[in-house]
Amino acid sequence: MTQPKTSEYRGQIHQRQKELMLKWYQRLDSSAHTGLPPSVSLMISGNCVELLEAFDAVPLYPEINALQLAIRHQSLEPILAAEELGYAADNCAYVKADIGSYLKGITPTGGKLPRPALVLCNFVGCNTYVKWFEHVAALTGSRLYVLDVPFCREAEPSQADIAYVVKQLQELVSVLENITGKKFDYERFQQAVRCAAEVEDLWSRIKHLARRSPSPFDAYFDAITLMGPLYVYRGSPEGVAFFRAALQELEEKVANGEGVYEQEKFRLVMEGPPPYPYFRTFRDMFAKWKATAVASTYSTVGGLWEFGDRHDPARPFESVALHMLSQNVTNRNYLQRYDQIRRYVEEWQADGVIIHFVKSCRLFSAGQGDMRDYFTKSLHLPTLYIESDLEDPRYFSEAQIRNRIDAFFEALEHSKLTGAAHPAASA
Amino acid sequence: MRVAAGVDVGSTQTKAILMEENARPLIMARALVDTGANVRKAAEHAFQVLCQEAGIHAHDVGFVVGTGYGRYNISFGNAQMTEISCHARGAHFVFPNTRTVIDMGGQDSKAISVGASGEVLDFVMNDKCAAGTGRFLANAAEVMGIRLDEVGPLSLQALQPVKITTVCTVFVESDILSYLAQGKKGEDILGGVHQAIAKRTVSLARRVPIEPAITLTGGVARNIGMVRALEGVLGAQLQVSPDAHFIGAIGAAIFALEKLDRSFESDIWSPEHAPHSGN
Repeated sequence: MTQPKTSEYRGQIHQRQKELMLKWYQRLDSSAHTGLPPSVSLMISGNCVELLEAFDAVPLYPEINALQLAIRHQSLEPILAAEELGYAADNCAYVKADIGSYLKGITPTGGKLPRPALVLCNFVGCNTYVKWFEHVAALTGSRLYVLDVPFCREAEPSQADIAYVVKQLQELVSVLENITGKKFDYERFQQAVRCAAEVEDLWSRIKHLARRSPSPFDAYFDAITLMGPLYVYRGSPEGVAFFRAALQELEEKVANGEGVYEQEKFRLVMEGPPPYPYFRTFRDMFAKWKATAVASTYSTVGGLWEFGDRHDPARPFESVALHMLSQNVTNRNYLQRYDQIRRYVEEWQADGVIIHFVKSCRLFSAGQGDMRDYFTKSLHLPTLYIESDLEDPRYFSEAQIRNRIDAFFEALEHSKLTGAAHPAASA
Repeated sequence: MRVAAGVDVGSTQTKAILMEENARPLIMARALVDTGANVRKAAEHAFQVLCQEAGIHAHDVGFVVGTGYGRYNISFGNAQMTEISCHARGAHFVFPNTRTVIDMGGQDSKAISVGASGEVLDFVMNDKCAAGTGRFLANAAEVMGIRLDEVGPLSLQALQPVKITTVCTVFVESDILSYLAQGKKGEDILGGVHQAIAKRTVSLARRVPIEPAITLTGGVARNIGMVRALEGVLGAQLQVSPDAHFIGAIGAAIFALEKLDRSFESDIWSPEHAPHSGN
């Protein structure tokens, strides 16, 4: 097969992203050495970074550190260190990489990670977090605050759920005042929420560009480039400037008719995080078939905004609570995730769905077998189910995964050529 | 006369088929060699045997499609296809009424839902584990000190098949040793082993719609005990060709014949040439 001329998205935004993320690591390094800015460890999913912004505190996301370690092939050493300590083989590999990196002093940039001023267990859609953050607090001696966010059990969260989270956020304000020594500035918080709303609007418009054919970027592999700034800088003017530039650059690509490949052959929706230890190898498996992800659920872990939800500066506490409760994929129920994927397939005009099951994340992955059945048997959508891990390199079997992906596209190609009914595939 | 070949480089054995163009393509020659450690050489050897059998030169073969796990190592091939597509196509060639393929190979087993023209509609495969594969049977045979080709017929003599509680290819050894220590009969142990694999395979296959007619392919199809055990669990008859072992190579050869007529540039892909290669 001839090699596709591919354009892994390498615009000026890619460079700007590197600069922003480096600056973030430098702030964390400064925090490690001087205690300033104060750092708060929290979870990406449904995060409340706007509140930290109001206190000039820097967020410390263990998932970003973990994935950076994995993508640089440095995750196995900390994972093994955590296993030596007693973590089981099937514990979350993000947890083990994070705990191991504390034990071994390993960071992706070689800099130092701070002892967090606060370990904020925001507990959105992942109950492993409680034990994880308790252990981080025990290891670092940092203060722990557990913010309990109920799962989204119905289509919308109840008023009681919203009030419950708002009350905790207000209590968290007192905790943040205490650890930063700063008085809470409501207007500053509103400003951060206003920035977040603007970033969400820009990000949403970027995602809608992928509805074009060809899509100007890969909404899975390239979206990950944009997700770091989304989580770290969402509540700041820097975040707004970054996403404004990203939108402009991608709109130019649309105007010029530029896609990820010279000729886009397949359009996909991706479910589940990528196998970071083999990120490029995995991407190549799709590049070979000139297949572009036009939408992904993983890019909505931090927030789901492409269907209209936004933070609201007029009611900042309520909108942060709503964001945590229902405006991110991990806290939503499975039927909502089915519907999200179905809408992507229909509105972004995808040819099929790829489900990547994460061995060490039962919470996100449990139920994906049923999900596969729903798409193949009820919606008759070509759906490929593959398994490895987002962090642990030991679960990635290249030959087997390549085989499944190739077979999926062979069948898809045949059905496209002959106009036959949709095939479906699973491994 | 135009001819094309399919070479199926499996984990245990390499199979090759030479086909002659015809209203219904004709199988001219078959080759079967152990894959061993050198995948590239195994493929070359199988291809040489094929040409010798048919009495033709390698350059007379118009197109070669490689399949199986070793397909990227076939140096003389013109294109690669997965064994999933090839088994579907090969089974359709041998039994045109095939709607489901159960393929049991050395290290993996799979079920394929097949369309009316031999296309893949759906497939499921075993996970990264050799449970329910030929390797499981080979280990059982080794522990019991009998030849692999004997285990199937022996298993059919079981009167009280034991219960094998594990499907792990490694741990099954300790289960078997335990039954041997208890004085259980070899045929009853083997009956249990075949039952365990059949149940595991059928539960995997049920994830695709199992529609008749069902064709069993792959090396394990030569094991009559496994054919009967699968039929018992499925409650349906299986179609088994004497060429069951070659079905992947047959499918690859048919794809190769089809490609003779197209002005094809070389369709060879190699992981080393991947645009983002680096990890």
